[in-house]
Amino acid sequence: MKHSKKTLDFEVNLIPFIDLLSVSICFLLITAVWLNVGSMNVKQAVGGQAKEDTQKSPLVWVRMTVAGDLDLEVQESSLVPKAMRKLRIPKLDNKVNWDSFEKAVASLKQVEPGLNTGLIQPTASTAYEDIIDLMDKLRKNGMSDLGVSPL
Amino acid sequence: MLANGILTQSVLMGTLEANSAINPRGAKLKRHIAADLLLTALIDAFSILVIFLLMNFSSNGEILFLTKNMELPKAHVADILERNPVIKIDEGKIFVENKAVTAQTITAELLELRRKHTEIFPGQEFPGIATIQADRRVKYDLLNQIILAMNQAGYSDIKFAVVVK
Repeated sequence: MKHSKKTLDFEVNLIPFIDLLSVSICFLLITAVWLNVGSMNVKQAVGGQAKEDTQKSPLVWVRMTVAGDLDLEVQESSLVPKAMRKLRIPKLDNKVNWDSFEKAVASLKQVEPGLNTGLIQPTASTAYEDIIDLMDKLRKNGMSDLGVSPL
Repeated sequence: MLANGILTQSVLMGTLEANSAINPRGAKLKRHIAADLLLTALIDAFSILVIFLLMNFSSNGEILFLTKNMELPKAHVADILERNPVIKIDEGKIFVENKAVTAQTITAELLELRRKHTEIFPGQEFPGIATIQADRRVKYDLLNQIILAMNQAGYSDIKFAVVVK
């Protein structure tokens, strides 16, 4: 008696799968956003709320000078020593010395961990890019509440 | 396994020939020179592409329209951009929601937007948020006009549009 052997293997039809993947790739390529736009959230540093409502928490004022120097002034803090309350970061090669600024902010943050507020006072000739760079550096060092002051 | 499979039939004989009811005998005598395509590698590549594109997929949509000359500043730490009234500086001109304004009329325009918001959402507190979209080379002198106008119109939260590094 002859038994016909039936194979149990089956073949998966890959064509619809490839079609599905191709359509997905086309759709995703068309709708892809290559430029990731985000936002830098800040508050009005002056006139946002009444003085009585303002909580007294440690803050640092960063004043950007026309020459490119940065003046830091810590207020409402009892932990920061007097010598560190006012700092000047001179420019380097006609540009803002970001490395020194980051080091200064990091050391201030180490002395006063509750220092979360940074207020920025630019000049009329300060480039928008420099203001954003400054905010970025402050946020990188754990300062979440940022404000910008009008001229 | 692939001997009688649909792939072998379609690849080596062609879809029409394989499914033809006539099935001409002459075709059987011809030597098949077509080789099997390795589809596994192709599917692997497609899958990786789909995963990569899905990871880059943004469901936020296009909130800002960037012109050719506009270059946003870059930042490492940025939040997700939300839909708020957009104040744009383009080639020295100020636009509020694509409407050209001057330093004198910007406050009035922002107050008008505020009034519209109160009409649409009565009883809801006005959030006072606006997005500023400007070129990275713009001087603060121009931005100051917007910030002052926002202050006067009761917009306390400013969101600067940036490109995430």
